[in-house]
Amino acid sequence: MAAAAIRTKGLTKRYGDVAALDHLDLEVAQGEVVGYLGPNGAGKTTTIRLLLGLISPTEGRGEIFGLDCQRQPVEAHRRLAFVPGEANLWPSLTGAETLRLLGRVQGHVDEAYRDELVARFDLDPAKKVRAYSKGNRQKVILIAALMTRADLLILDEPTSGLDPLMEQAFRRCVREARDRGQTVFLSSHILSEVEALCDRVGILRQGKLVELGTLAEMRHLAALTVEATFEGAVPDLSGVPGVSSVQADGRVVRCQVRGPIAPLLKVLAAADVTELLSREPSLEELFLAQYGARD
Amino acid sequence: MPVISRLTAGRAVRSGVIFGYIFGVAIASSAISYTRFYKTAAQRDALAAAYGANKATSALFGSAPQLQTVAGFTVFKISMTLMLLGAVWGLLTSTRLLRGEEDSGRWELLLAGPTTRRGATIQALSGLGAGVLTLWALTGLITVLAGLDASVGIAAGPALYFALAMVATAIMFLAVGALTSQLAATRRQAAAYAAWFLGVSYAVRLVADAGLGLHGLIWASPLGWVEELRPLTAPAPLALVPIAALTSVLLVAAVYLAGTRDVGAGIVPDRASRRPQLRLLGGPTGLAVRLARPAVTSWWVAIAVAGLLFGLIARSAGGTISGSSVQVLSRLGSRGNGTDAVLGVCFLVLAVLVAFAAAGQVTAARAEESAGRLEALLTRPVSRSRWLGGRVLVTVVVLLASGAIAGVFAWAGAASQHAGVSLPALAEAGVNLVPPAITIAGIGVLAFGVWPRGTSIVLYAVLGWSLLVVVIGGIGGTSHWILDTSVFHQMASAPAVPPHWEADGVMAAIGVAGALIGGIAFQRRDLQGE
Repeated sequence: MAAAAIRTKGLTKRYGDVAALDHLDLEVAQGEVVGYLGPNGAGKTTTIRLLLGLISPTEGRGEIFGLDCQRQPVEAHRRLAFVPGEANLWPSLTGAETLRLLGRVQGHVDEAYRDELVARFDLDPAKKVRAYSKGNRQKVILIAALMTRADLLILDEPTSGLDPLMEQAFRRCVREARDRGQTVFLSSHILSEVEALCDRVGILRQGKLVELGTLAEMRHLAALTVEATFEGAVPDLSGVPGVSSVQADGRVVRCQVRGPIAPLLKVLAAADVTELLSREPSLEELFLAQYGARD
Repeated sequence: MPVISRLTAGRAVRSGVIFGYIFGVAIASSAISYTRFYKTAAQRDALAAAYGANKATSALFGSAPQLQTVAGFTVFKISMTLMLLGAVWGLLTSTRLLRGEEDSGRWELLLAGPTTRRGATIQALSGLGAGVLTLWALTGLITVLAGLDASVGIAAGPALYFALAMVATAIMFLAVGALTSQLAATRRQAAAYAAWFLGVSYAVRLVADAGLGLHGLIWASPLGWVEELRPLTAPAPLALVPIAALTSVLLVAAVYLAGTRDVGAGIVPDRASRRPQLRLLGGPTGLAVRLARPAVTSWWVAIAVAGLLFGLIARSAGGTISGSSVQVLSRLGSRGNGTDAVLGVCFLVLAVLVAFAAAGQVTAARAEESAGRLEALLTRPVSRSRWLGGRVLVTVVVLLASGAIAGVFAWAGAASQHAGVSLPALAEAGVNLVPPAITIAGIGVLAFGVWPRGTSIVLYAVLGWSLLVVVIGGIGGTSHWILDTSVFHQMASAPAVPPHWEADGVMAAIGVAGALIGGIAFQRRDLQGE
């Protein structure tokens, strides 16, 4: 059986009494695109820095393709490419020089794809990094990662500073990577980006992984939104098991349903419903439900 | 007080307190040590005879009038060191708090408010003024207190005037740094421009004081103006006029230029685009070479020019050495007669330059980590040991080449004057400069591994201490226990005496051990930002 692209077991990082990451157990299979969510300070970047061997765990261990992140970082890094949220590059080098350096250091570059990415992201590689805007510096670091066609892409807020057009270009690149069988681990605050790209999503809260699953599996976290329009009298839905947040606007009623929908359907069937709409929760609603429910 | 003034003043005053204390203690210890070691009139006359007409020491440390007095001796012994230290403090403080703050992007936040660019610069300069005032006040206070000692006997007025002279270079080079912060687009570039100005000022003053009949050149150097203030011996406050004029012109120009340029940009155009230059971009060590190239080139030019100048003056300065001068030079570690003895002392100055180049290499490595750029390499298949090993290798090569350049250019200068010094002897003296620098670099790598955020502090503390001990201790009597803590004291004064290869080996071994322990600690620690 192929080793998981990422596997952590009890991975923990403490700074004094504060647990930046608390016993993280996570497995990302090869070829998966996994989103990693959490508010500022939840431990997302700490997880990534541990996986990259930039910091040492207080407890536990992490593996990249079966390679220990702390003991075999060089071997692990041969198989991954990393995009940080802030592109700290050498101001005196140009974009082209930076790409050359990072490509040589990585050891393998798809040069045709690199040139295509430069065009796709509309980057002027003759400019010095010092003269680039934040978004353009981010493009350099994105291209540097994508051009390697690495088996695993670890992306930490990768679209920080990119405009909507470039954001679309980025999404296209991630889909291409997935289609090629590359694994993508995407930490992001842009929920629509994660929703559009990821097979599974993990939600981190105060250093602990509180949810991990497909979007479908996570729907239980938030309520289904139901909107019904009645021909005749509007029934009282407030007492129906699982129903909450009932709002009546003339003949239109909106409510939220948690758990089985059968009790609500039973009441609605007895009334004169002319139109019935239901909508699953978006990732944003799931995320907010996860945080709103416990904060 | 406006926010930029307050923020700048807070940092400048803290630094001013530390340096004011160092300045004050150095002056006080010089004055008091003179009274302890030169008690009789005969001893003082011998000292005056040795230094009074010695062109070599005049060239390096300035002229030496009235060495029979505590005041005259104190001025001679400490003033050049403090003048240079003050100038370095001034240029680094102003470029850090002006261009450095702009580089970091913090000024953009402040300028988004009602403050104009010129207003912000004026505020920052007022903060820097508070720092230099603190430096002067503390230096003056300690000098006045030392002067109260009956054997020292320096009155408060002259003591404060002396303190003012000692911080005059700090004032001027704060202004120089303020101007270069407008000219250059980066802090490093701004500091480099200011350092070049300091180097030229020192070189001009050195030639003026070298007894070559060019003393008029003293008025062409800001360091010369400070020398012409002649504190404690024959005060000439008129020399404050060019100091005040230069400072004013530079400050006005800095404020004016601040309003004419874009935030984040310099007046000197920085080409935003160029054709790619792909050499040395094959890996981390090549990158280290490429990144080090501008600073290292500057150091090499400075070492070459200094070596050449020392070579040029060695013969004429060596001709003035009498029997008692030989004794005095021997306290600086230099033995022998004539040209060799002078070159022995001059190579001490070159050793300091090479050691500073070593410190610069280590702080540059730390800057890669603190600025987050190191992550771009270490998240690729580059081990920490490969990266650090490459940086250390580059440093060693830079130091060896620095030593060779010092030796060859000093020989070229001396040979042009038919000084009778051989190339192998000066090449050997050049190699002899490397071990102290390796010790400094090794201690720096140790600090980098164990206490990364303190790398600069440790490096410049060791360097500053070593320099202070060898200069103060070398001219006056100092316990050998203290002298032994200076890496420069451990270095033989080649070519005046043969290199002590055993001591050099020990220094190199300390450097290697420091680098190894630092490397192991770096392997095990987390990466740390600013």
